[in-house]
Amino acid sequence: MMFMSDSGFPLLSLMIMTLPIGAGLIWLVPDPRKARWIALLTALIDLALTLAIVTGFDHSTGDFQFVEQHAWIPTLHIQFHIGVDGMSVLFLPLTVLLFTGVILASWTSVRTLPRLYYTLLLILESATLGIFCALETILFFLFWELTLVPIFFLISLWGIGPQRRYAAVKYTLMMLTGGVPLLFGFLLLAFNHASLNGMGIPDGLVFDYPSLLSTPLPAELQTAVFFLLLLGFAVKAPVFPLHTWLPTIAMEGPASIAAIMTGLKLGVYGLIRFTIPLAPAAAQEYHWLIAGLGVVAILYGALMALGQTNLRRMLAFSSLSHVGLVLLGIASFNLQGIQGALFQLLNFSIVAGGIFLLTGFLHHRVGSTDIISLGGAASSMPLLAALFFLFGLASMGVPGTSGFPAEFLLILSALDTHTGAGLAALAGIVLGAAYFLGIYRRAFLGQIHNSAVADAIDLRARELVVIVVMGILILTAGFYPDSVLELTRTASENWVSTLSGK
Amino acid sequence: MNLAEIHWTAQSSYPILAALQLLPLLAIVLILSLRGRAAVYPTAIGLAVAELLLSFDLYRHFDPAESAMQLAEQLPLLPLLDYHAAVDGMSVLFILLTAVLSLLLVLYAQVRKLANSTTFLAMVFAIEASLQGMFVTLDLLWFTLLSAVELLLIAYLLQRWAKAPQDDMAMGRYLQFMGIGLLLLLAGVFMLGWNHADATGGQWSFNLHDLTMVTVPVEIQSVIFFLLFYGIGIRIPLFPLHGWLPLVAEHGTIAVAGIFLLGLKTGIYGLVRFVLPLLPEAVLRWHDWVVAFALTGIFYAAILALMQVNLRRMLAFAVISHTGVIIIGLFSLSHAAFQGSILLSTTFGTATACLLLMSGFVYRRTRTLLLPRLGGLFGHLPVIGIAFLIAGLSIIGMPGTPGFDAVHLLLEAAILEFGAMVTIAAALGNVAAAAFLLWAFQRTFLAPLAEGMPAPEIEPAMPMERIIAVVLIMILLGTGFYSEPWLNLLEHSFDGLTALYDGNGHAGTLDLAGH
Repeated sequence: MMFMSDSGFPLLSLMIMTLPIGAGLIWLVPDPRKARWIALLTALIDLALTLAIVTGFDHSTGDFQFVEQHAWIPTLHIQFHIGVDGMSVLFLPLTVLLFTGVILASWTSVRTLPRLYYTLLLILESATLGIFCALETILFFLFWELTLVPIFFLISLWGIGPQRRYAAVKYTLMMLTGGVPLLFGFLLLAFNHASLNGMGIPDGLVFDYPSLLSTPLPAELQTAVFFLLLLGFAVKAPVFPLHTWLPTIAMEGPASIAAIMTGLKLGVYGLIRFTIPLAPAAAQEYHWLIAGLGVVAILYGALMALGQTNLRRMLAFSSLSHVGLVLLGIASFNLQGIQGALFQLLNFSIVAGGIFLLTGFLHHRVGSTDIISLGGAASSMPLLAALFFLFGLASMGVPGTSGFPAEFLLILSALDTHTGAGLAALAGIVLGAAYFLGIYRRAFLGQIHNSAVADAIDLRARELVVIVVMGILILTAGFYPDSVLELTRTASENWVSTLSGK
Repeated sequence: MNLAEIHWTAQSSYPILAALQLLPLLAIVLILSLRGRAAVYPTAIGLAVAELLLSFDLYRHFDPAESAMQLAEQLPLLPLLDYHAAVDGMSVLFILLTAVLSLLLVLYAQVRKLANSTTFLAMVFAIEASLQGMFVTLDLLWFTLLSAVELLLIAYLLQRWAKAPQDDMAMGRYLQFMGIGLLLLLAGVFMLGWNHADATGGQWSFNLHDLTMVTVPVEIQSVIFFLLFYGIGIRIPLFPLHGWLPLVAEHGTIAVAGIFLLGLKTGIYGLVRFVLPLLPEAVLRWHDWVVAFALTGIFYAAILALMQVNLRRMLAFAVISHTGVIIIGLFSLSHAAFQGSILLSTTFGTATACLLLMSGFVYRRTRTLLLPRLGGLFGHLPVIGIAFLIAGLSIIGMPGTPGFDAVHLLLEAAILEFGAMVTIAAALGNVAAAAFLLWAFQRTFLAPLAEGMPAPEIEPAMPMERIIAVVLIMILLGTGFYSEPWLNLLEHSFDGLTALYDGNGHAGTLDLAGH
């Protein structure tokens, strides 16, 4: 993969830096109640910037675009190097859209320390965008770990469960532990580069992603790097059995964090971006491992979801199951698989993020998302119930929604390369319909037997805007999937050819 | 080992190093003469700021591209005790840190309104003077004697301003440990001098230059190494020689003694300045053992830290745990290792000082640091809470704090020297540190107050408290995102040491197939 160095306007840095600047502004304006307005405005400006990036993006080439490269810490051979290609560019507007939705969804529900809340959200957004743009392993690691601080605070201070502080520590510790193999994987890659260059250590260390891609890696080292990076990203994805933080966060954390965690599958992105291209031979050797992890996650997640009585826990396990399908698609190492995987990841940010926001609205009204205290919610909140159903259909992959083309590509590629696993994935989809429809019937249909449900008012205009925008995107991408596939195609082809080339 | 020197006249118009040591002494006189007057605090702050400016002037005059010792000053005093001062990048870093921390302590004293403030301020300057002396001297005996003076001054602090009923116990235990440490150190120093006399026909010297000229016979290198290493190890403190620290932390002064003992890692400095250059064979012979102990210490202390209910004791174990990481780095014995571990010890020092100062501010309000009795402070004291957290994150080595760049260097060196397993274990030790620091932060700042506890009147942070917290946050984050100047400062400080250990057939090579 080559990279294009167009020395134009630093649009990506501007996009990343706008958010912390907005966060700083929150503290300069004396009225804390203005915090949400400043946050929203910052997010909207950023949305415009990301849309400008997507518009200016040239999808005929697989190179990195909007590249910026500066020296940062020369002594440690670390530089500031960012850029996007077809695989990452669409994540930018969707991330910002999700965060904008989260800001609007928190509009009235966040009352304590509003300035800090919106500051942390904006910093988290900035770090997340940085993860998608980083073309330097250490810079990537910086953004990767920087997300932990805001998440730790957001869960500890604004979580809705009684165990929120435990959940925050659990999440942070699991992620820090996952960071250790990641850092070691990156260090091994740099060491290898240095020893091949003959420049010795530390003079020859290189952390630059494009340079590392073009550096051949000896077989035994590939295995080590592959497993280190796989482990590091598997914790974040999450992959069974490292998923235990996700149900905890879904139950204890605020709805905004649950939406971000299930919507943005950074771990899987890392797998596609770093693990597989940097250790291609090992990845192909252990394709069965990735596929196997995928199948286990599909079935385990679906079966667990089937047994849940709380919407939030059910959605967490359902997310686990969906990540399994993406892993299976990646393991096929063909164009359909990777395109399906990318499509599905983009899809998550709207579908999983949106459905968690809806669940948050429900929790805000009823004070619980357990089906015991729900029941009949559709009669008092018809709009919420209808939109919840639409997002549910999208997560099942029903034709007409954006879930369909994604799952179709994934299943197709899986059946092609891992037939048995593909059949298991089909079974998982059937289970998916079963658990979603089952819990939906019990939560939204039937008789109302809780006065809180009866008194609840339907979606307000502010909430409706967020959900409807996401819903329109679901339907558009469902009917015209080509617009998305076109953008990711060239980069995906490059990705596949890198794998077969080595 | 090459120990070239540049005389101060070649670099500066006045002897900066002498000024750095004399200014705090002048400050003591001035402050004592103003005893009881309102002008004491402004004078003290002014003098501490002047000392800081002087250190910056040193930084400005210092040439980081030069590997020789710089700004050297020499003056024969007693037959065996010459005044001989010179600095390299490492000393400059420590001198700057000493000046910053002393200034913060002077400000802290004003906030806490400690009893006998005049004497207290004089003590701060006295300790500062002894520390600056230790960081500039090239004479081993001079270093040891100043070390004794500093430890005695701190003992006085512990006796006068302790904040617990069992303060005698804290001081007693402290004096026992430090006394033994000093005796060991003195014995080691004496043996080195004797060896010099033996080799040169009766000419005693404790000067680093002279000592590096003669080789120490391998038979006695190990003995001297253990004397010096244990002598210094007690004060660092290294596991398993840390017995005094939890007691002093629990019963001694809350921030002041801790900052001088733990914020400034004089022990680590002493190891790099004197032990590593003088005893290479013994170091190479024993470094595996040292690292094995350090690794055990990381986890032992981390587990004990998790079990503490007193924030003060918890911080003590946190220090013991992270010291293990520095030692592993140091004994990886390569350029990146020295650079990383010195940067890490100043980072940990700043972070520990920040944690201690913030605990002091919390104590001022709650009158207790028992974790079950704390809680819910974040809404009242957000800036102090954030400073506490950022200091904690620096100890964990989170990217964006100076801890990361240092740990990064250190891990690179440790992988080459000890292989992946030891290094991964050390990195996981950092995660263990994360566990107790995050837990303590939550318990102190985020958790609601325990049932049945009377809600104390929490007074919002005073301007001076905010200033201290914000200065520390800026130092930590500023260095974290841009560590280049400090790495640059250390770039050539270890040229001699690196050459020495490479020359001893000890060049790190990566066994790629091994892991």
